[in-house]
Amino acid sequence: MTSASLEDVWRTSAPHVLAALARRSGDFGAAEDAVQEAVVAAARQWPADGTPEDPKAWLIRVASRRLVDQRRTEQARTDRELRVAQHTPPAASLAPAADTPDEGERDDSLTLLLLCCHPALTRPSQVALTLRAVGGLRTAQIARAFLVPEATMAQRISRAKARLLEVGARFTLPPAEELPDRVAAVAQVLYLIFTEGHTATTGTGLTDVSLAGEAIRLTRQLHRRLPAAAEVSGLLALMLLTDARRAARTGPDGSLVPLASQDRSLWDRARIDEGVRLLEAALPAGPVGPYQLQAAIAAVHAEAPSAADTDWAQIATLYRMLDTVAPGPMVALNHAVAVAMVDGPAAGLAMLEPLLEDRRLRRHHRLHAVHAHLLEMDGRAEEARAAYATAARLATSIPEQRYLNTRAAAGTGRQS
Amino acid sequence: MKYVILIHANPDPWGHPTSRYNPEGRALPATQHDEMDRQFEALLEELSASGEFVTAEALADPASSTLYGWTPEGHLATDGPYAEAKEQLAGFFLIDCASRERAEEIAAQFAQPGGTVELRPVMWPAGDDQ
Repeated sequence: MTSASLEDVWRTSAPHVLAALARRSGDFGAAEDAVQEAVVAAARQWPADGTPEDPKAWLIRVASRRLVDQRRTEQARTDRELRVAQHTPPAASLAPAADTPDEGERDDSLTLLLLCCHPALTRPSQVALTLRAVGGLRTAQIARAFLVPEATMAQRISRAKARLLEVGARFTLPPAEELPDRVAAVAQVLYLIFTEGHTATTGTGLTDVSLAGEAIRLTRQLHRRLPAAAEVSGLLALMLLTDARRAARTGPDGSLVPLASQDRSLWDRARIDEGVRLLEAALPAGPVGPYQLQAAIAAVHAEAPSAADTDWAQIATLYRMLDTVAPGPMVALNHAVAVAMVDGPAAGLAMLEPLLEDRRLRRHHRLHAVHAHLLEMDGRAEEARAAYATAARLATSIPEQRYLNTRAAAGTGRQS
Repeated sequence: MKYVILIHANPDPWGHPTSRYNPEGRALPATQHDEMDRQFEALLEELSASGEFVTAEALADPASSTLYGWTPEGHLATDGPYAEAKEQLAGFFLIDCASRERAEEIAAQFAQPGGTVELRPVMWPAGDDQ
């Protein structure tokens, strides 16, 4: 078995193993540590000794042994410190029968996701804990994916676990009335993981993970548990429709290819079809939320045979709806682009006027990139070049800056 | 989004925290320094807990630096400092936050006597296709 498929095996099993341990021991943090140790042991032993017949049972057995050892060590320390002569053995119930099938396995991964996205945790902690506990990723992999030192990520994870203990978070499903809000938080965390991955140039190392792929995998799990949650379907559709463009979004030299110039034959049709199917099932189900609307916009792009064939009128309508459900300067900006494509650049430029004064957007490169694009459409080449230059100066993405500099230099005969 | 908070200062003698080694800082009573230290510790604690703190380093005296210039024949090394500027780069903090507003809110709290604090976005090697 290759190391990549070994990794797949323990990563699919790790959340179930963790759930089994957390439910039995009641201590999520300790259970999580034990599972990580078991995963490390698997990475060492499986390639040499072969993959066990039942990898999950193996991981549960090893992890519960570690958990018992941990308890013993802690117990010994406590005993020493308190100078208590009488030894209290750790609860026998800590060691579960290794291969007992889990009755609650179906709900376990949902419970686990909800716990990792607990409202007492900050967003970065929720992201880190979700990737480690549910995604089964190692701390080093998460740190590399987010370009932060491993020690920083390790501290973030241990603080998150300590915080869960502090607020007395239990490994149980929250009451039904809290569920929609808690699921919404999980969706936000998964979407954040996805955008981080979608916009990143991921490493090519064997153990580097694709955050976008990981987000899709976890959202699929969530969708399987909650098939009737329309916004979860919408989120999964949005991810699939966006990820479908992955092969087309970078040129052979690594440069960024904007949506309008992408080679659409490179788009992943299977992902698009799946995204559209999910969306079609979700849309009639009830109130349409922001993920479904964003997915619908991505679907309109995905279904256009060429950039020129894009149904901008429909996109403009969808952005207007999105602006009602989830208003924000970015939505207004995208809405202006769509309106310009339908009613001409002057209409779009009029919508940009208030945004150019918006404190949140004023120094955002995308506002000026859009401004430049609309000025260019309007035949105001000089002003467009100046706006492209402003956008380039404000850009913090290296490929986007390179692209904007090229546009600013276009026609001036100056090389960027 | 990652941002770097650059601390420009000119402590004399060179020392950290730089606010204790410059005339503006020396003019303040010890109790005020203690209070500022306490607030700063609390800020770092908050940033670590929120996951926004990435890393930080205090830098040595610019006189201890070595400068490398490039010529077609090879590199040319000379002793520092880089420039006889009024303020030198004394240290940096790397933070990772959800928005520019949040980064500005954090950076403002780094303001200190006898120094200038600069907030700069960090470039990243990727981008969005929209």
